Amino acid sequence: MSEASNASPVLLDVSGVSKAFGAIEVLRSVNLEVKRGEVVTVIGPSGSGKTTLLRCVNFLESYDSGSIRIDGKEVGYLSAGTRQRRGERDLAAMRAETGMVFQSFNLFPHLTAAGNIMLGLTKVRKKSQAEARSIAEHWLGRVGLAHKADSLPAELSGGQQQRVGIARAVAMEPKILLLDEITSALDPELVGEVLAVVRSLAEDGMTMLMVTHEMAFARDASSRIVFMADGGVSAVGPPKEILAAETTNERLRTFLARFRASYF
Amino acid sequence: MLGQILYALPFLAQGFAVTLWVSLLVVVLSLIAGVLLGVGLVYGPLPLRWAVRIFSDTIRGIPILVLMFFVYYGLPAIGLHLPSFWAAVSALTLFKTAQVIEYLRGAVGSIPKGQSEAAMAIGLTFRQRLAYVIFPQAFRRFLPPWINGVTDAVKGSALVSLLGITDLMQAINQVIGRTYEAMPLYILGALIYFAVNYALSLASRRLERRFSFIRE
Repeated sequence: MSEASNASPVLLDVSGVSKAFGAIEVLRSVNLEVKRGEVVTVIGPSGSGKTTLLRCVNFLESYDSGSIRIDGKEVGYLSAGTRQRRGERDLAAMRAETGMVFQSFNLFPHLTAAGNIMLGLTKVRKKSQAEARSIAEHWLGRVGLAHKADSLPAELSGGQQQRVGIARAVAMEPKILLLDEITSALDPELVGEVLAVVRSLAEDGMTMLMVTHEMAFARDASSRIVFMADGGVSAVGPPKEILAAETTNERLRTFLARFRASYF
Repeated sequence: MLGQILYALPFLAQGFAVTLWVSLLVVVLSLIAGVLLGVGLVYGPLPLRWAVRIFSDTIRGIPILVLMFFVYYGLPAIGLHLPSFWAAVSALTLFKTAQVIEYLRGAVGSIPKGQSEAAMAIGLTFRQRLAYVIFPQAFRRFLPPWINGVTDAVKGSALVSLLGITDLMQAINQVIGRTYEAMPLYILGALIYFAVNYALSLASRRLERRFSFIRE
């Protein structure tokens, strides 16, 4: 079965996913595909469901209907038809295959930078302390923080914390990396160092789905851009197409115009 | 006078041993039950949360003394006869358990939701999230009120004397009954309780300092 799924170029398949918080429909039958090695960026006005969609992919949020598959395997539920949730162990194992980086970093404050990365490696991947430590050091080196391995998160700057957050996620060797507005909580001068790390991961062929307000970065680093509005996918395409000022999509044009007015 | 007190010391020591034994039982049993029920209150399914909430609110709303008399004199009506020692220990444990539930809820509730989510995202199971992410951080907030609660348990154990158990309090009263030296004996008793509780709060302060490196 795994061979058959590996043959498919589609890694993440979101189809017809809907979700409501009470009377508010945050996701309306969302369809989205991410192929292996692709970097797909989700943009859109706040409240358009971008973050909720991302959180559904590793089942931090449940959804009311539809199907989300990673490598052909249904996420969260036992099958697309039922709303029967997977058991705790099953869910945990499934989540270990998707890495997530958070807007607010969410590093574990009682563990060092290396400790943050090692926790999943030792407890989930069952690696020895020594092996986990060397993997942690490797990734800290990749994000330029080899010298901070034994620092607590409180001793790191926001940009450094977020780079540890990325290292923690990729060290688990996830199939796909989810990035949720990872530079939104950073001071402007720290954004660059974090985006540089993401760019180098993209060059390595890491499959990524990210939500961002960094339009320039989205344009340069994405294979495709998804524009969401009112809980649905309003436009999908290569960056040049989506970010073109002369787009015929009314909502997208308004969004981009407002964006240019406030950010440039 | 001093001679009489010295004469009574071995007897008081026996009572003190009972006080320590009761306190230890109450503290350990309530810690286990309170942490389990507290986790149920924070993370459990709705019916369990409600059950724990009702248990905790009810127990905390009843004076310990009433609870103790209820267990000892009331429960036999439904066929549950507990010896006085265990009736007293159960009542004190019930009361302390309700407090531990609240300490745990407060401590765990103070940990930002993002911590659980980050722990989920790397694939930790519920138990692993508690053991490696939530509890280590909640511990520092749990400790100070809990140690306070431990000193309360030691002091509150004096109530068991009212069920005729010869703890330190009861032993003092019995010696006074024979010697009529109330003042010096009560002072001695107070000093013993104080010594235990002061030692506990010193230990607590050391522990708090030991864990203060965990910053948010």
